[in-house]
Amino acid sequence: MELKGKVMQIQNFSVNDGDGIRSTVFLAGCPLKCMWCANPEGMTPENKIAWQQKTCIGCGKCAEVCPQNIGINLNLPESREKCTGCGKCTEVCPNGSRKNMVTVMTSDEIISELKPYFGFFRQSKGGVTFSGGDPLLQKDFLFETASKLYDSGINIALETELYLEFESVRHILELFDTVFVDIKLMDCERHLYYTGVGNERILENIKKLGWLDKDVIIRIPVIEGVNADNKNIVNTAEFVNKYMPKAKIELLEYHRYGESKYEALGIKCPPKSFCTPKRDRIFELKRLIEKTGVETIEYK
Amino acid sequence: MSVSDRVEMIRQNYINSKPAISYERARIWTESHKRTEGEPVAIRRAKAFYDTCNELDVKIFEGELVVGAIGEFRKCGILTPEFSWTWVDREMDTFDTRPQDPYIMTEKQREFVRKEIFPYWKGKSLEEHFLKQLPEESRDIVIDTGIVDNDSKWRQAVGETTPDYQDVLFVKGFGGIIKEAEDYISELDGASIEDINKRDFYNSVIITSKGIIRFANRYSEKAKAMADLEKDEKRKAELLKISEICAKVPENPPETFYEAIQFMWFTQLGGIMSENPLALNPGRFDQYMYPYYKSDIDNGIITKDGAQELIDCLWLKFSEWVWTISSNTADFFAGYNQFQNLTVGGRTREGFDATNDISYMALKATDEVKSHQPGLSVKIHSDCPEEFMDAVTELVSKGTGFPAIHNDQAGYQMLLNAGYEPEDARDWSNCGCVVPHFRKTGEWTAAVNLNFGSAIEYALNEGKSLLTGKKLGLDQKSPAEFKSYGAVKEAFLSQLANLVKHSVVATLTAQRLHMEMVPRPFLSSCNEYCMKNGKDLSMGGAKYNVGPVITGIGLAVSANSLAAIKKLVFEEKVTDMRTLRKALINNWEGYEELREKAKNAPKYGNNDDYVDSIATEIANFYYKEVHKYKDIFGSHFNPAFMGISNYLPAGKVCGATPCGRKAKEPLSEGVSPFVGTDMSTPLAAMRSAAKVNQDVYSGGTLLNLRLNEDLVNTKRGRSNLGSMIRSFFSLGAFHVQFNTVSNEVLLDAQKHPENYKDLLVRVAGYSTQFVNLSKSMQDAIIARNAHKSY
Repeated sequence: MELKGKVMQIQNFSVNDGDGIRSTVFLAGCPLKCMWCANPEGMTPENKIAWQQKTCIGCGKCAEVCPQNIGINLNLPESREKCTGCGKCTEVCPNGSRKNMVTVMTSDEIISELKPYFGFFRQSKGGVTFSGGDPLLQKDFLFETASKLYDSGINIALETELYLEFESVRHILELFDTVFVDIKLMDCERHLYYTGVGNERILENIKKLGWLDKDVIIRIPVIEGVNADNKNIVNTAEFVNKYMPKAKIELLEYHRYGESKYEALGIKCPPKSFCTPKRDRIFELKRLIEKTGVETIEYK
Repeated sequence: MSVSDRVEMIRQNYINSKPAISYERARIWTESHKRTEGEPVAIRRAKAFYDTCNELDVKIFEGELVVGAIGEFRKCGILTPEFSWTWVDREMDTFDTRPQDPYIMTEKQREFVRKEIFPYWKGKSLEEHFLKQLPEESRDIVIDTGIVDNDSKWRQAVGETTPDYQDVLFVKGFGGIIKEAEDYISELDGASIEDINKRDFYNSVIITSKGIIRFANRYSEKAKAMADLEKDEKRKAELLKISEICAKVPENPPETFYEAIQFMWFTQLGGIMSENPLALNPGRFDQYMYPYYKSDIDNGIITKDGAQELIDCLWLKFSEWVWTISSNTADFFAGYNQFQNLTVGGRTREGFDATNDISYMALKATDEVKSHQPGLSVKIHSDCPEEFMDAVTELVSKGTGFPAIHNDQAGYQMLLNAGYEPEDARDWSNCGCVVPHFRKTGEWTAAVNLNFGSAIEYALNEGKSLLTGKKLGLDQKSPAEFKSYGAVKEAFLSQLANLVKHSVVATLTAQRLHMEMVPRPFLSSCNEYCMKNGKDLSMGGAKYNVGPVITGIGLAVSANSLAAIKKLVFEEKVTDMRTLRKALINNWEGYEELREKAKNAPKYGNNDDYVDSIATEIANFYYKEVHKYKDIFGSHFNPAFMGISNYLPAGKVCGATPCGRKAKEPLSEGVSPFVGTDMSTPLAAMRSAAKVNQDVYSGGTLLNLRLNEDLVNTKRGRSNLGSMIRSFFSLGAFHVQFNTVSNEVLLDAQKHPENYKDLLVRVAGYSTQFVNLSKSMQDAIIARNAHKSY
């Protein structure tokens, strides 16, 4: 049977997720529940319907076709409760104010969307990055899709949380040219508090990643009020230096661009206490990391 | 960046002063014509040219190294009443205050021209002849309508030529040209009409050549006189040097880089005095200047900085002359732009990489002086050095809109398709904005602007304008009777074909008049084969006579409109033709929901075959339709999708269109997407544009994209941009140009123009000062969708 994947988005012309000009394929579903998540539509694999109140012209076509009899305002708690994500309303909405956030696709469908850009990838030494959610949650589908790209000679990168049984995905990791893994917090308890899971398994898996001959980038989403303190950053760098001396660290500044998605999905935005670090602070942290002997990298 | 104090001083004057109109050239030209009544027209024009060279005020401005001015003002426009004067008479009282491209003109000046100049030309100008000769049935469509517009070919001279420095001017000098003309005359038998015409032609060339030499010599005398009075020793030495150079060139071939630069500027001035043209192109500057640079450097005659300063000075000279045009033309060609296109990079005639030091210095000059002229173009070929691509993307990142980036291979292919020999095709340079061109050519590269939006309205509104109700199109049945998408499309194409026909008639009428009335001896002498053939450029004397170019405006709007009809009326059946027509007549008022659906129908610029295939089909039809007609020399007309700022005035005369666009909003430019509808990525926009078979549009194609400045403010970002350009070109596309200034900057510049006098932005195929654009033009630029990634 043909495998099907749950895809949040294919973002062509990504230039910040690896080398060159890339397309990023976002696969839905994630083992973590980070409180600052920038892609809340991908926390679980099933489809969700976004409703953009700002562009909605209130024609009511969505309500007419809804099998659950939900009205125009999809973001009332009881509406969200009832919504099954069937997507009927998105078909009749005249201007795309109702949108499917997760669509089902085959690997060939994904590849055919990427193909027009192969020339750009090759010329710029770019390629395709799989992100999410965590793409490894759909591991068979990921393996199939990534293998096809691998066979076409396209550079592929993976962004993962590595919260899983390493041996079960090892063959998939082998395919990739570059692997990006997050270390959000070194303190296990705080990791549990903010992401819903502890970090022991992640750190163990990162050590194993060193067995494979891959470019590894350790990413830290830097959030003032959560993990931007010197101690956490230095601890992370020391861990990397000890177990993955060839890996580089990339600091990603936390941003609140995901908020419009929270609004469109009718869910509560991340707490206001999460702040974007200042650019100077990022430079300071980079210097601290480099002092431990670990290289930093930036795709800008 | 470190320009010399001299360059900075000239630059400050350039960005701070408003251009002024000088009537001197027109006065001398008119006086001369009064004396030559009854003589052959070529001789009369040559004598007027000589008299202008002999009498025009000789002005050397403070600190100048490159000298020669077109009038008494440093930033100056001139009048050419032999082409047209009625519009000047009508419009000059508001020259000061008009929104687009205002000029300074005093009451006293206006009085003089009304009394002493215009009366002579009454009934004699090209414009008046054209208006009398254009067939009745084309009038309502052609004259100042924005539907089929060719006013730059009957109110102005043609221009659109590139002096041949490589094979003619730097080899012979104008002294050599005189000698050559005399030799040709001595071989003539004289007892045939051909020989009589040739004799007139060669004599006209001898007169203009003597004129330009006289002009330079007067500069030599002036510089000498100024040196005698100059107290500052350094400046005195400079003036003596200027005097020495102007005594030598352009009569004789140049021997140094400085002489070559000054030669070139005199040639440019000769072209301007002769006809005040648009697109008098310097051509492949790096190719013909490099030997002089190399030799001077090797012999210790010049330093690299010294050469750079001369190039900077030349750039400012290019920018100090402004084109004097009607307010209608100014809407189409906004920003005081004269389209002096200067091309660097590319390949040699033999096919090797041609970039050299001068190629880089040209990019540097534009970065340093930020002048809107010359129109700087680069040719990128597949083996182009990385360093050159880096220099190109570096300049793009400065947000000047320069350079215009062209695919060398596509330009080559376009010229091969137009019948050029391979070596000549490889040697192409740009004309005007984005037209592949070659210096041994006679052609009209911006003959007509044709409004595709009008064809859409006539198809859907029984041949009538939606705005005025006036019937201007072919008879057309009521749209309610269209039973299929195919029927709508056929109606559109037949209306389009009808507009092409009017364009051809208007062009042929103008071409015949140019031949009879305004021969071009000076510019013909700069064109190798005119001399060989003994024939003026306007008579088809060049080696290649390429057919006139009809530029289509609104390809994206018409493709999007047909796509919306196909989808909404015939596939999803959410509306019918009758309702759609009503919505368009009402400018969508009361039909908001339908408009939302229309706006959400597939849009060109997103790599969506549904609509891109329609764009390609329209473009292919347009190619065949235009190409089937022949011009006065038997050459096929050529289609183009190039830019200029024509998509604004063309939009103003168009009612609402089925793509969701409202009445009077701008159309789309070149092969660019409609503003704000290329929602995907610049790569998708590039792919859509590349689907149009660009290499057959010998008149050029244009893609403008806005890039967020964040994308190019790092080295890595610029490398990615370079890769993006190369990938685009590998798809067969011809041109791309970028604006990288952020909207915040542009909005601030609208509020505080005083802080942004040197802010260059890309308009369409060219860049100009943002503050020199009218508010509506500025808004249109801000509306272009900025592509960014996140």
